[in-house]
Amino acid sequence: MESSAEKYAAFKQKVSRTVYLDNMSPQVTESVIRTALDQFATVKNVKFIPNYIGPSNQPQCALVELDSAKKAKEILSMIAGYPFMMSGQPRPVRARPAVMEMFDDQPIKPNRKIKIRWLEPSDPDFELAKEVKNLTRKHAAEVEFLDKLLLEDEEKLAKQQEETLKVHYKKFKMIEGIMADKTAHRLARKYNLHVADDWARLD
Amino acid sequence: MVEAGEEEVIEFKWGTRKGLGGKKKDVQFYESFTYDGVEYSLFDSVFLYKEGEPEHYIGKILKIWENSDKSKKVKILWYFRPSEILNFLEGSETLENELFLASGEGEGLVNVNPLEAISGKCNIVCISKDIRNPYPSDEEVQMAEFVFYRFFDVGMRKILDKIVVDKIAGIEVKNIFNNLDSQKVVGLVKPDLDNKEVSGNFMASNEVVALSSQKKSQPLIEKPDGKCFDTLVRENAASKSLLGEKPTCSIGVKEASKSANALHTISNKKTVPQAKVEEKRGCKDSLVKQKSFAKLSHGLIAGLEMKEITKMDDGSGKGSIEKNILMSRGDSKRDDRKDVGVPIGQIKKGLEEENASKKGKRGGFGKVSSLKKNNNGQNRRLITYDDDNNDDLKTIAPCSSKEKYKVQRAMDSCDVEELPSKKLKIDKKLAKLTSDKLRKESSMISPNVEHKLDFRPMEVTRRPNDEDRSKWFKEIPWEEKMKTAYEQGRLVLLQNLDPSLSSSEVQNIIWTGFKESCTARMIQKTAYSSPHSGQAFVIFKKSEAAESVVRKLDEGCLLMSNGRPLVASSGVPCFPKKKPIFYGHHVVDQLRMMQMQREIKDVVSTSHCSQPNNIEYDMGIEWCLLQERANKSWRMLYQQQGEELSKLKAKLKSKI
Repeated sequence: MESSAEKYAAFKQKVSRTVYLDNMSPQVTESVIRTALDQFATVKNVKFIPNYIGPSNQPQCALVELDSAKKAKEILSMIAGYPFMMSGQPRPVRARPAVMEMFDDQPIKPNRKIKIRWLEPSDPDFELAKEVKNLTRKHAAEVEFLDKLLLEDEEKLAKQQEETLKVHYKKFKMIEGIMADKTAHRLARKYNLHVADDWARLD
Repeated sequence: MVEAGEEEVIEFKWGTRKGLGGKKKDVQFYESFTYDGVEYSLFDSVFLYKEGEPEHYIGKILKIWENSDKSKKVKILWYFRPSEILNFLEGSETLENELFLASGEGEGLVNVNPLEAISGKCNIVCISKDIRNPYPSDEEVQMAEFVFYRFFDVGMRKILDKIVVDKIAGIEVKNIFNNLDSQKVVGLVKPDLDNKEVSGNFMASNEVVALSSQKKSQPLIEKPDGKCFDTLVRENAASKSLLGEKPTCSIGVKEASKSANALHTISNKKTVPQAKVEEKRGCKDSLVKQKSFAKLSHGLIAGLEMKEITKMDDGSGKGSIEKNILMSRGDSKRDDRKDVGVPIGQIKKGLEEENASKKGKRGGFGKVSSLKKNNNGQNRRLITYDDDNNDDLKTIAPCSSKEKYKVQRAMDSCDVEELPSKKLKIDKKLAKLTSDKLRKESSMISPNVEHKLDFRPMEVTRRPNDEDRSKWFKEIPWEEKMKTAYEQGRLVLLQNLDPSLSSSEVQNIIWTGFKESCTARMIQKTAYSSPHSGQAFVIFKKSEAAESVVRKLDEGCLLMSNGRPLVASSGVPCFPKKKPIFYGHHVVDQLRMMQMQREIKDVVSTSHCSQPNNIEYDMGIEWCLLQERANKSWRMLYQQQGEELSKLKAKLKSKI
């Protein structure tokens, strides 16, 4: 009993100095996370949370254990304050403090006793329990549906930003073009405008 | 005459006196007062209302006094809502009902208000881990309207995690933290809606009365008729008088929620005695059951003691305590079942004596089981008989001619049994004996389980051979196991578990409820996982076992703690793809083509925080906005689901 209580306390300490990261690209690996966060704190351990039941194209999640709870707080506030981008841009990574249920090696809570019981069909609570079961299934379906909706929203925003990026690229390409082939220079002379000295020197 | 009429409407009453103050000794201080049917004391947390504000202010009463002109005043130490100090939060997350207590020196810490500005009492619990703070129970934290554990220094404009000073605004720190006595009082005070209506009338009628204050520094608003009204002043903001206003809708909403909580409390109290009654009914039912079942369950108890013996040999000094517990359990069981004929002797000390007693027990139990088998001729019994036969051979028990005949008939099944027996030889002697006995018991009990389910509450016990297995074989990665099990139809998804359960506890639950050995893995929580329903994947040894578990849980109800019926379905896991799609990372196509022409590898930008002066930052902020919307959607969904579940579970009367 004492040893299990000590394990549980040690586990709590570990949870307090661990940071949960998600919205990460599938390209992100452990070394990428270590390199990214070494700017702020010493990374002790990185564990990726596998996706067993969700949609297959969920972003990646990871638990990053740091050397102290204080460092964990600093990283959390930093990532919350600025968009922190990892292995690509512009979608930022999100950070949250870790919770016990996020760990797969969660120890048994000491001094907890679990009791189970089969209900008789004649029991008045039997129908109520059936309702609770159906409600649980309905809630699971709702969660799945909301997941799908949010993924669609992400897709829309991604497409929209892709268009924006193309437009920006074309704009800058065009500006660079007219500067390079001296079209701007000739137009400036025609309209009696003064061109910047930098470009004038190129002549 | 007018004042006499007011007293009937106001329902105000002073409490304990504290002393006189002021320059002329004409100011009377108090420790408590009763206002509108609610009793307030020093250091209570209260709501204060100000016209035009969407939310009440919240503060703590530090001083209460009455001036010589009969005006009543209170000095308030303020709490801050997170939205009020948004610029100073620095990105730290706050609880949904969290407040920050003012500390330090400066504007916004304390000020003086008319007593009539108080609109109600507020239940605030301090959850600071300071040694000086008596930490509240989980129930108190849940019942609290607000919680706080951090402070906001109004001078430095900074959030403090701890308070180092002994005093805030001249008040001892012990009065800031939870007070054990006041916690009890808070639970009792529940103002009614009727009183609020009365106070509304009082406020309306009080418009005529003019109250003046001696302190000239307070700003006053003069109306055309020349009368002056007191104002609630906070951070030097001027506003109209409170007295003309009626209580807002939010008060009614809170009253409704309070009454709902009260009803919930009452319903909780009622469920307890009924649960006890049902437990008694369960005991009576057990007495009525057949003798054979009683004997079998008695065998279970013996098995449990065997396990405890094994632990005692390995364990420390606490073994003796556990032994006493076991004996007391055995005694209580004996009282319930008078039909049991097999006596349980005391466990003697010493290894030799233990061995002798074990042999005696096993022999007796074997005899009983062999008698039953002769009566029944079912096919299932043959396998059971083989187990018993092996044990009998080991102990050189006498064999009858009938037994020899049956052995020959069941030659094929004997070959199957040889494999596990080889494994068992590797284990220790004690583990061997334990596993032999438990295997017999489990195989014998399973026919009865199919006929009848035990409707009594069962405590989840540890699965046998849990540790021995892992010592001898290397663990296959979970993904491979899951994939194989899914293809063979042995994978089951469990839902509606308590999210805080661990994987081994799930295995124990399955063992206790179904007598099936399995491997379980709790699905790890992510940012979007449901807080109400934990999920786990369970791998059984046979597809028939998986199917029977799913069918039983679909037809019947296995109730866990807090009224959670277990939900099972065939598991359909999601395996990672080789090239998963990820939205939000963009690369300019032309640049990529140029890079490929130069035969340069694809380069990804290094991890960095974006600066707020470029396109990348704007796009990043758009993603943050989308993320916040998603967070809000998830929170609303889970809150709604939580309400639905709590309504339905409140009706459940039996809770283990």
